[in-house]
Amino acid sequence: MKPLFKQRMETLLPDKEDFEKYNKIIHIGPESFIRCNTIKIPIEKLLSKLKKKWNVVQPFSNYPEIMLVNQNLEPGELGNSLEHTLGYYYIQEISSMLPPLALDPKPNELILDLCASPGSKTSQIAMYMQNQGTIIANDLNIGRIKILSTNLEKCGVTNAIITRKDAIGLCASLSKSTFPKFDKILVDAPCSGEGTLRSSPKTFLMWNPKLIKKFSRQQKTFVAFALKCLKKGGTLVYSTCTHAPEENEEVVDFALKNFPVKIEKISLPLKTRQGITSWNNKSYHNDVKHSCRIYPQDNNSEGFFVAKMTLLEEVK
Amino acid sequence: MKLHFLKSKEKRNLIEELEKIYGITELPYLLLETGKQKIRGFSGHLSKEEIVQLTRLTNVEIIGAYLINKKDEEARISFDAIQLFKEKITKNIIEINNQQLQLWLRGYDLEIRAPRGIIILKHQEDFVGIGKSNTEKIFNYVPKERKLKTKIS
Repeated sequence: MKPLFKQRMETLLPDKEDFEKYNKIIHIGPESFIRCNTIKIPIEKLLSKLKKKWNVVQPFSNYPEIMLVNQNLEPGELGNSLEHTLGYYYIQEISSMLPPLALDPKPNELILDLCASPGSKTSQIAMYMQNQGTIIANDLNIGRIKILSTNLEKCGVTNAIITRKDAIGLCASLSKSTFPKFDKILVDAPCSGEGTLRSSPKTFLMWNPKLIKKFSRQQKTFVAFALKCLKKGGTLVYSTCTHAPEENEEVVDFALKNFPVKIEKISLPLKTRQGITSWNNKSYHNDVKHSCRIYPQDNNSEGFFVAKMTLLEEVK
Repeated sequence: MKLHFLKSKEKRNLIEELEKIYGITELPYLLLETGKQKIRGFSGHLSKEEIVQLTRLTNVEIIGAYLINKKDEEARISFDAIQLFKEKITKNIIEINNQQLQLWLRGYDLEIRAPRGIIILKHQEDFVGIGKSNTEKIFNYVPKERKLKTKIS
């Protein structure tokens, strides 16, 4: 762990014991969570099939589609089963399932997934929409679009349109046109990835404070442009897989101070901590505390950040 | 992206063909033909006009899901669309055993006698793919990227 990263995490987690728990768990691989793809198979049917080979549990009674394979597995074992080949389940870390839960998609809504690849959240959104309504799933890079397309195909998603454009350019074009405004938008923004250390230890080496500043600027622009495409009363969920406040609360603070938005409280099936209201001598809007911080040591998960906003007036 | 929405008559003809081969009598999708005679289905609520408008505003790469390949003599349903149509497929189904399933998912042709033409393979309650029979053998159409890479245990 780079010294500055350690120092920042110690500031975020001032309780020594809490930090030690964090520092311990980030060196252990994540648990094996999967999400039943109800587009292709009912939950009970999948569960009965999987229970024949693995110890599978459903940790959250309100979300029976979320399953944990609670045993040691061979490398690649989850990805090499018949059920995975047929697209009956999607291998997805539990914290990555949270933004779509916060978004709460409904059939017949028009939803924009601004940074959609690799498609875990897009396919989860399509599943909750029962393949009705429309998702515009956007990404910039053609290689990432191919992965997104493959994953949506495998999940049997038929209500998505995949677009390739930079997020700002797409939102600018859409907002200036007569194209319908979106009911909901997910901005699962590119970030420094501090929360993914368990599955991607190379993040330890790649971590860089300059990147955090760069991402923070980009994320604010993404949110600003995305809000222009949202209808009045619409929902924007902003999420990252990082702990850096510059990429999280500071972005939400920016939205609160510059746009007619309200932060909503979110109920998620994991233990969350409220957003912080100050960092590095900067004070944030008090409502930022309704954002959710997800720490690995609280849930044996990856780290994440989720905030949900409602747009009070259309943005011109 | 060049858009070619299937006209009512084209859709009707396609459904007739699907009924003949698979017993499928409806396609509740907006159908588009893309390159290489591939038919994609879109179940979303955007109108054709809104989709066309979107293509003018941005690069639309993919619409809906790949459902049918019309390149061969017979319309062939895609590997993933079989799951979407499983309640509707009633014809040309062949049940395979566990050993045959292991071979099939790894991309091997199966030495099974079956009527010439398209065959849907079923293992217990799962539809596990589509193949083409020359009466002696069923040729494997599992997409390369979906074949299992592990050895048969």
